[in-house]
Amino acid sequence: MSLNVKLRRMRKKPPAGWDAIESTLEEFEQKMRDAETDSHEGKRKSEAVWPIFRINHQRSRYIYDLYYKKEEISKELYQFCIDGKFVDAQLIAKWKKQGYENLCCVRCVQARDTNFGTNCVCRVPRAKIDSDRVIECVHCGCRGCSG
Amino acid sequence: MSKDSLYNRKHWEDSEFPILCNTCLGPNPYIKMTKNKYGDECKVCNRPFTSYRWQPGRGARHKKTEVCQTCAKMKNVCQTCLLDLEYGLPVQVRDQALAVKEQFPTQGANRDFFIQNAERAMANTDGTTPYGELALIPNSGNNEILKKLAATRSREPYYARNAPHICSFFVKGECKRGDECPYRHEAPKAFDEKLSQQNIKDRYYGVNDPVAEKLTARAKAAPKLVTPADQTITTLYVGNIACGDELKVNEEDLRNHFYQYGEIRQIHIHKNQCAFIDFLTREGAELAAERSFGQTNINGQKLTIRWGRPQSQSTRFEGVEERRVYQQVPNLPGSLPLPHLNEAGGSSSAPYKRHAPPSADEPSSSKARVVIPHLDEPSSSSSSSIDAGKVYYPSQDPNRLGTRAPL
Repeated sequence: MSLNVKLRRMRKKPPAGWDAIESTLEEFEQKMRDAETDSHEGKRKSEAVWPIFRINHQRSRYIYDLYYKKEEISKELYQFCIDGKFVDAQLIAKWKKQGYENLCCVRCVQARDTNFGTNCVCRVPRAKIDSDRVIECVHCGCRGCSG
Repeated sequence: MSKDSLYNRKHWEDSEFPILCNTCLGPNPYIKMTKNKYGDECKVCNRPFTSYRWQPGRGARHKKTEVCQTCAKMKNVCQTCLLDLEYGLPVQVRDQALAVKEQFPTQGANRDFFIQNAERAMANTDGTTPYGELALIPNSGNNEILKKLAATRSREPYYARNAPHICSFFVKGECKRGDECPYRHEAPKAFDEKLSQQNIKDRYYGVNDPVAEKLTARAKAAPKLVTPADQTITTLYVGNIACGDELKVNEEDLRNHFYQYGEIRQIHIHKNQCAFIDFLTREGAELAAERSFGQTNINGQKLTIRWGRPQSQSTRFEGVEERRVYQQVPNLPGSLPLPHLNEAGGSSSAPYKRHAPPSADEPSSSKARVVIPHLDEPSSSSSSSIDAGKVYYPSQDPNRLGTRAPL
């Protein structure tokens, strides 16, 4: 959905620093649209959705870093992004927790979705996993998001 | 009779734990297994049953139960691999060895009826005995042939069975997953036309099973030790006890291994290369030969066991290399001529009497009185090929008697 369409949803006007981030957010929006309309040829059924999760992570990461790490964004702008659903609020909520700083997507820690009530395989720390082959998790194609 | 129709669902099979062999379960004692109530239809009887799915150890593919418990119990096989629970052998091999003639019906109402009866009958037992002829065979767990066949396959469980399948894209060179591909990137085994056409129903019913046929062919071709007809032979020849010049298996090792079959009379190690074990009883020797032929390894050496040959090989005395053929001594008299009592030379005791007194006399007088035995012509009792008059020993020479001493 276009950035402007989302903007129309919001009752308020975007706060001060919006122009700086608007272009990047527009790019992410474009990428997302491409990922959504990509053909499914040559990809596995689960693999087709991976770019969506990836871009979602990247976009949320951008805003999160700007606010919490680099502090280049005001609290109002950050709140504006969350309210306007420009970022994945639930994912960011996880990033604030210790040990989940690099979480790939919320699906991978959802124990209810697995057969044995565990996390996804990408949550296993690199040190503990000894597989000679690379692991790509089935949900988002993550290759290890902790450790 | 499948799950698509919900008729009879009160009678669908439920179970608490699958019937599996150790190989299928894998080396890891901590398995996470999912249970799917009425989750699959049996590959043999097509009825819904509770299927189980687990991963047999690290790096293995996930396995699930393929046939229902009723079918598995009827033939006493593992629910996934369909091999006998006792021996780990295909159904066809086991049935042939146990001489099970009965054929379960394979199709249609006949099959369903048969299975229904079997299920009812087995519900009354404790669930560990098979159905039909197989249940009536006494000691079916102790069959010698099957044990031997099983031993060759199962010293260690064959976990290679649980490996992921070969990546068919890789075989064509097209695998795009590369490193993260969960299937095996290896060359497939050499294409065997018969072995690649296996059918789960054939394997289950024990009909037309190429693996079974291969096994029975191999069993027939295996070398066998023929017990000698001569009942007095109680000696076993044991070879390959040394590696080069060094003796790896010594007498004590042999004794420690072979005493279990019977009392050992003696063990000789010959020339540091082979040994001969002499048993006290023929039964002990036979048992030892049967039990240890082709399957005895001591100290890393696979021993070759054969029956010993009488006398020639088993050493009664040390150091005898081989049996020497001795030439017949020619011209031996068959038997001594009877003494002639009335000869001029006097009685037989006369020479003795004469010797005694003249010991004090001059030696010349005794010499004159010695009776010279008459050598006969070689009689018919001696060998025919010997020349007359051939002298083998100096004492046979009639002209030369006694030592030659200076007179």
